[in-house]
Amino acid sequence: MSGFTISRRTMLTGSAMLLASTSMPALGWAQTPKKGGRLVLAADSEPRNLNPAIVASNGVFFISSKIVETLAEASFDGKDGLAPRLAVSWEGAADGLSATFKLREGVKWHDGKPFTSADVAFSALQIWKPLQNLGRTVFKDLSAVDTPDDLTAVFKFAKPTPFQLIRNALPALSSVVPKHIYEVGKIEDNPANNAPIGTGPFKFGEYKAGQYYRLTKNADYWGKDEPYLDEIIYQVLPDRTSAAAALEAEEIQLAAFSAVPLADLDRISKVPGLKVITKGYEGLTYQLVVEINHRRKELADLKVRQAIAHAIDKDFVVKTVFLGYAAAATGPVPKNDPQFYTADVPTYAFDVAKANALLDEAGYKKGADGNRFSLKLLPAPYFNETKQFGDYLRQALAAIGIDAQLVNNDSAAHIKAVYTDHAFDLAVGPPVFRGDPAISTTILVQSGIPDGVPFSNQGGYKNPALDALITKASETLDTAARTDLYKEFQKQVAADLPLINVAEWSFISVASEKVGNIANNPRWAVSNWADTYLAG
Amino acid sequence: MSRLRRFLRTPEALAGAILLAVLFAMALSASLLFPGDPQAIAGPALLPPFQNWSLPLGTDRLGRDVLVELFHGARTSLAVGLAAAATALVIGAVVGTLAGFAGGLVDEVLMRITDAFQTVPGFLLALAFVSVVGPSLGVVVVAIALGTWTGPARIARAEVLSIRERDYVAGARVIGMHPLEIAFREVLPNALPPVLAMSSVIVAAAILTEAALSFLGLGDPNRVTWGGMIAEGRTVLRTAPFLSIVPGIALLLTVLGVYLAGEGIVETTAVRRGLS
Repeated sequence: MSGFTISRRTMLTGSAMLLASTSMPALGWAQTPKKGGRLVLAADSEPRNLNPAIVASNGVFFISSKIVETLAEASFDGKDGLAPRLAVSWEGAADGLSATFKLREGVKWHDGKPFTSADVAFSALQIWKPLQNLGRTVFKDLSAVDTPDDLTAVFKFAKPTPFQLIRNALPALSSVVPKHIYEVGKIEDNPANNAPIGTGPFKFGEYKAGQYYRLTKNADYWGKDEPYLDEIIYQVLPDRTSAAAALEAEEIQLAAFSAVPLADLDRISKVPGLKVITKGYEGLTYQLVVEINHRRKELADLKVRQAIAHAIDKDFVVKTVFLGYAAAATGPVPKNDPQFYTADVPTYAFDVAKANALLDEAGYKKGADGNRFSLKLLPAPYFNETKQFGDYLRQALAAIGIDAQLVNNDSAAHIKAVYTDHAFDLAVGPPVFRGDPAISTTILVQSGIPDGVPFSNQGGYKNPALDALITKASETLDTAARTDLYKEFQKQVAADLPLINVAEWSFISVASEKVGNIANNPRWAVSNWADTYLAG
Repeated sequence: MSRLRRFLRTPEALAGAILLAVLFAMALSASLLFPGDPQAIAGPALLPPFQNWSLPLGTDRLGRDVLVELFHGARTSLAVGLAAAATALVIGAVVGTLAGFAGGLVDEVLMRITDAFQTVPGFLLALAFVSVVGPSLGVVVVAIALGTWTGPARIARAEVLSIRERDYVAGARVIGMHPLEIAFREVLPNALPPVLAMSSVIVAAAILTEAALSFLGLGDPNRVTWGGMIAEGRTVLRTAPFLSIVPGIALLLTVLGVYLAGEGIVETTAVRRGLS
């Protein structure tokens, strides 16, 4: 057991150091890049729609980010945390009403047609703004995209829009698709949604349902000497235990997105030729959150919510549910966010006695059976960890006299129960922090969101002061002032507990030592892999 | 008494009876030996078995005591197995008796319904039912019964077809008994023994189906089930195989016990019939 603890701690410190020092070279075992080869990796889901401009989610990016590129990608050392892709430079106007992008020269679509600013204008106006799950919020005030020449796109906004938000949204929200393919017929039904055409280093090869996706090298890629790989094969391995076995048998060379269960990492890190990598997901932080239905009269009481927060032992959750591969959360912005995070928020130490006292104070005395009241608890089924935390939360609540009854659903039924039918008292959810609170975080506590919008405030929480703060931040153009408003936002959320942030975690990759240039940007698993290579 | 002795003389039946007795003892003593919530966190997570004598079978991923879960799981398995089998037998006996005794259109309709249920694999039916209605213990019982009542129904119908021609049934008709009364008071009790002979197979199948449903996450999440324990352990199969092996062995021994004891009962009754 002790050997386990040490190795885990070393690994965590290692990743923290890498995070802190951006000038550190790419990982130590990388040899000189070599051309050619086929990278085989594990894929645990098979998204049907592979168009990242419509479905901006990690499951889709994992495959399609190699084919369809964005204007910019996240970077450890680039200015504002960005590295250029299809755009080479960007600038926001002082009045927040326009943003100018200079585009890369000499880029060709996979079908040979040239990439121009018309493609950017089309993608932004016809897809990101009206159709994309995240773009609907960020680009809601986008009114036009001017194209003075083939390599300049000027975004015009109807209302002042903070350029900081647009910039932070670029890596995930700005996938550019070809206008000449999508302008015919309905965008949602376009065959290119299933066989994407882009500008990326790899072309879509084929997809065999239940077996694999195959991507092939784009010989005309704009990057010099890139890509290195000839082929990428996504081997569909839905069973999480089989990815580890496939790695050991050298059938695959990479399992990203924690395809290898956390409990197996210690064992697998000792297998010669395999490496466990905790880096490369800094831009994809998942948050473990207890969603609260404020329609329940008990839960509408702040004291009850505080009691629940005090009843959760965050360290236990990090150590036992996540085996140390997570961090305890303090509020709605994760600690690893370089721009917005503040630790200056009310915190809730693990204190069962205090939790019990708070519940007594709120007027919910223990009954003869030791219970105060009963709640329905719906853990999201997407991750083992969310389910396990559900089991833990039930025990934690039992300790303070709240009887939680678990309700298990499949993904579709869970989304319907929580976000449409509101048939829950508490739910365990894994929202994603996407580099800016305005992209997918404020929506978790804002009021006035229509029923049925997944991963939004469907708990009936309404706080006019917080709503006003969110609106003000969304209109503030000055970066420093905007950042301060989001720090205030974190304080208010932690104080009023519309939801309870428990932990923050990201993913782990396990790869063969032959795979080079792994984890060299904060969204590595969903970046374009142009510089990834296989050593001999 | 002699029947019991004969039953216990066959080694398989004896083994089955012992296994079942142990299982019942586990189920009944679970609350006495281990009061409180069986899912309470009792120690460090993933403690291997035989390391700490207060947690003899070790702990699972959250630090719950595997031994306690095993005892409480025995209750769920047994309760679901027996309840599902009883439900299936009751539905089957009633449907079979009605079909066999009434004949004609009623028989046709009831038997075609039985056919319809038989063409769908029982497990798929249970799976579909639970995923639509939502998992809870009662729903699981009904779901399993839905797929298993057809066997007893067919056997009951076959028995009733022969019994309804007997003299005492004709006699009952002559004294003016209501047909339903004849069916359920005169015919059904005599048609029952061969139907009951199926019960061991049904109980064993029900326990396995319940485990399979729990394994797929469709069991009652608020109760400990062996299938659920195996499923939980599966994610850490390489590092902590005991989490799946321990409930797996329990499941195997239970089904074996039920089956052997059932075989023993059938054998003893057959011998008795042969002798008489």
